[in-house]
Amino acid sequence: MKVFPEDLLYSREHVWVRVDGDLATIGITDYAQEKLGEILSVELPETDSEVERDEPFGVIESSKASIELVSPVTGDVISVNEDLTDDIGIINSDPHDTGWMIVVEMKDLDELDDLLDARGYHDFIVQEVEGD
Amino acid sequence: MAIDEAMFRVAGRTAMPPTLRFYGWSGPSVSLGYFQCVENEIDVAFCRREGIDVVFRPTGGKAVYHDDDLTYAVVAGEEEGLFPPDILGTYRVISDCLISGLRRLEVNTRYADEGREDDPDRIHASCFSVPSHFELLVDGRKICGSAQVRSRRAFLQHGSLLLTFDPVKTYDIMLPHREPREEQIRRLRESVTALRDHLLAGADLHQRICTVLKGAFAEHFQAVFREEGLTPQEEDIKEQLLQTKYRSGPTGLRKKRRGS
Repeated sequence: MKVFPEDLLYSREHVWVRVDGDLATIGITDYAQEKLGEILSVELPETDSEVERDEPFGVIESSKASIELVSPVTGDVISVNEDLTDDIGIINSDPHDTGWMIVVEMKDLDELDDLLDARGYHDFIVQEVEGD
Repeated sequence: MAIDEAMFRVAGRTAMPPTLRFYGWSGPSVSLGYFQCVENEIDVAFCRREGIDVVFRPTGGKAVYHDDDLTYAVVAGEEEGLFPPDILGTYRVISDCLISGLRRLEVNTRYADEGREDDPDRIHASCFSVPSHFELLVDGRKICGSAQVRSRRAFLQHGSLLLTFDPVKTYDIMLPHREPREEQIRRLRESVTALRDHLLAGADLHQRICTVLKGAFAEHFQAVFREEGLTPQEEDIKEQLLQTKYRSGPTGLRKKRRGS
């Protein structure tokens, strides 16, 4: 059963955002990790680099394919989850918590208005599945 | 690789018709998956001594030794709506076209509905040793390895269709070298096959294969192909990639990656 934590916002590229002031913690959703299958590797930006909304910020490799990760916000990367180096599997097993990827200091909080809440993301997925 | 990636980048930015490309290699080469670590996966010194070029692909997956093979690449944007939106759906469609094409040459190809059982003693660095969904089999042995990368609006899938397979050279290239050597070579020979083993010898084999595969794709999509070169935008991106990413060599800068 897929999980949609209520305290998160979601992009249509299956990335979640946990907002704390002007900081955005980012990772991929439970739906995304399930679609990807076993995740083998991830390439993430370095701290102090910039990410831009709707532009790639990394690449994730699963047993099926490599997928570009699309940033939901614009800002500076202030933290990268180094735990993924030792245990990449936490992206599959705990995508919304310990499987986080980067923390971004956002430059424009208005960008959050374009994201979906849990209900909206659930409905978006239902539409996407029905369209398959 | 620069051409494949350039087409992929442009397809993600502008509305372009889907592209089917076939190509060979100017000399023996190894292409590595985007996430592979070259020193851990192949014997770089051996490749250097043998004059084998090494390049990274923009797609994931394992190492592929290109000598006598035909490489295909399919690039499409999601706006075209010709391919399913999911990874496995795309693999299935392309596999169906490849199978249909090869059957026109009377090569009885099928795909594995599920990945073959993994054998821990197999050489895992090689793409052709590792089971995957929708891999193409002839007489139960793998004949084509493919890999895919997806962006927000497009995908690139490319693969190597073997015309000849050299298990000895493959063993010598791929790391780690498991012993006994002859046993590993035998395992490779048993799990991989190539088109020249199933076709009558004849002139222009590469061209014949391209023709039937192109026909199969055209039939599947009820489409007419237009043969063209790169667009100016694709050409520009290709040149940028050649100056940066694909000129630095296999030990060129790789971003820090996490995982296996």
